[in-house]
Amino acid sequence: MSGGQTLEVIVTAAQQVTPLIRHFTLARADGAPLPAFSGGSHVIVVMRGGDRVYRNPYSLLSAPQDLGTYEIGVRRMEESRGGSHFMHDRVKVGDRLEIAHPVNLFALDKIARKHLMIAGGIGITPFMAQVEDLHGGTVPYELHYSVRSPEHAAFASRLAERAAGHVHLYYDSDRRFIDFEGLLSNQPLGTHVYVCGPTGFIGKVIDTARACGWSGSHIHWEQFSAPPAGDAFEVTLAKSQRTLMVPADRTLLEAIEAAGVEVPYLCRGGVCGFCQTRVVECDGELLHHDLYLSDADKAKGKSIMPCVSRARAKRLVLDL
Amino acid sequence: MLITGIKSKPVYAPLQADTGGRYHLMLGLGVGREPLLRVLAELGSEQPAALARTQVLYVPAAGDATTPDAQFAVAALSAVQLFGSARELLAAFRPLLQGSLMGTRLYVAGPESFIGTAMQLALEFNLNKDEIRAEECGTLARRVHCVHCRGVTEDVKTNIVTCSGCGLHLLVRDHYSRRLGAYMGVMADAEAPGELPEIREVFL
Repeated sequence: MSGGQTLEVIVTAAQQVTPLIRHFTLARADGAPLPAFSGGSHVIVVMRGGDRVYRNPYSLLSAPQDLGTYEIGVRRMEESRGGSHFMHDRVKVGDRLEIAHPVNLFALDKIARKHLMIAGGIGITPFMAQVEDLHGGTVPYELHYSVRSPEHAAFASRLAERAAGHVHLYYDSDRRFIDFEGLLSNQPLGTHVYVCGPTGFIGKVIDTARACGWSGSHIHWEQFSAPPAGDAFEVTLAKSQRTLMVPADRTLLEAIEAAGVEVPYLCRGGVCGFCQTRVVECDGELLHHDLYLSDADKAKGKSIMPCVSRARAKRLVLDL
Repeated sequence: MLITGIKSKPVYAPLQADTGGRYHLMLGLGVGREPLLRVLAELGSEQPAALARTQVLYVPAAGDATTPDAQFAVAALSAVQLFGSARELLAAFRPLLQGSLMGTRLYVAGPESFIGTAMQLALEFNLNKDEIRAEECGTLARRVHCVHCRGVTEDVKTNIVTCSGCGLHLLVRDHYSRRLGAYMGVMADAEAPGELPEIREVFL
């Protein structure tokens, strides 16, 4: 969380595990154990890249019972603002990074009678840690993991070892796709579905679950939207009486932070709602990219999530 | 006063069909038939196909000898089962939950003790608030859980009741436990033995 203390970590291993995904192992610089976490948690990694600071959320994929190291998987984003490219191109073994304490916005339901996990691509990472939490337990679970082709199936061998009999792999290259309708229309009462992956993939799972009659309390999803770049715009911060430019390749939140104004945040991916900020005035259009505000609230234009959303306006005034 | 202003007291609303569900399970006791008929009619007009995915479990009021078909004529497409008692109905409810799929909505209409027991079973199967609707009808008599001996006293109509388990005088609070499906009863005369407030019938 913003203003909260960060931990200094050292990269103890870095490995390219698929053409797009790099796997990092992090240990505390002072050798102490890392904070405890539960499967589904993420950390914000703070990357200081010359004149700018990147803060990106990454799910912890290592076993929660092992607090000697954290592991994360970073997918190289095509339209990156730079964070994932920084992690891929510049971060080497022995480098120091800062991370925030883990936060779980994608926890397993503790009283579920069955867990149905659905992963698309890099969306596998939170499930890696959850599978560790479920290992040896009595609650049935299935993990359905869809990727482009075998070479893109990150961590498949670890899954085969830790969750044998629970994992179902689907390769686009084999023309094998998850039968969402078949899966979701035939689950026992008390099942919870968890989905992580690309936006369209998540949307399809949610829509299918709804169409099969699932209630919202049994549907869980997480996606950290990579904040889209956009046109530069100007923002005025009413309380701090500052006016600043948000450059095309930076988020509103990053620009506000760069000006020295603190905004509380947790996920930096448009999911948690923590950075919700009141819009005092906007003479144009708010470009909502978050997954937190309802469509109705987005239409009202009274709030914005500065971590991912932008504006196309001559004058935007925020209550900061 | 100990018995008012407590937020755990359940608030019930008139039953309405939840057309977001795929399967519908309806439980009713006595006058609980009326709300169920209303939901069935609503489903029938908004989503006629849903009636074929609806099951009704009902205990007719004592002395009501109408046949299942006549009881729920509107539900001709649904499976209707009649039971002689709430206990029998609830015994049939568990296997039904075991065989049910995600997408099921539960509707319960009857006195609160009946709703409470049905909810306890539903909770075991991890049905959440957004999958259960209940309408209280019939008696407002309470099931009371003694916080001293954990005994349960059924059908309590008075503000003070003698615990069927330990014999203490219990003050019936509004503090409701979903897990126990009962209101908490606490010793009413602990401070001054024998000094009790006026005993009145308040849950009718």
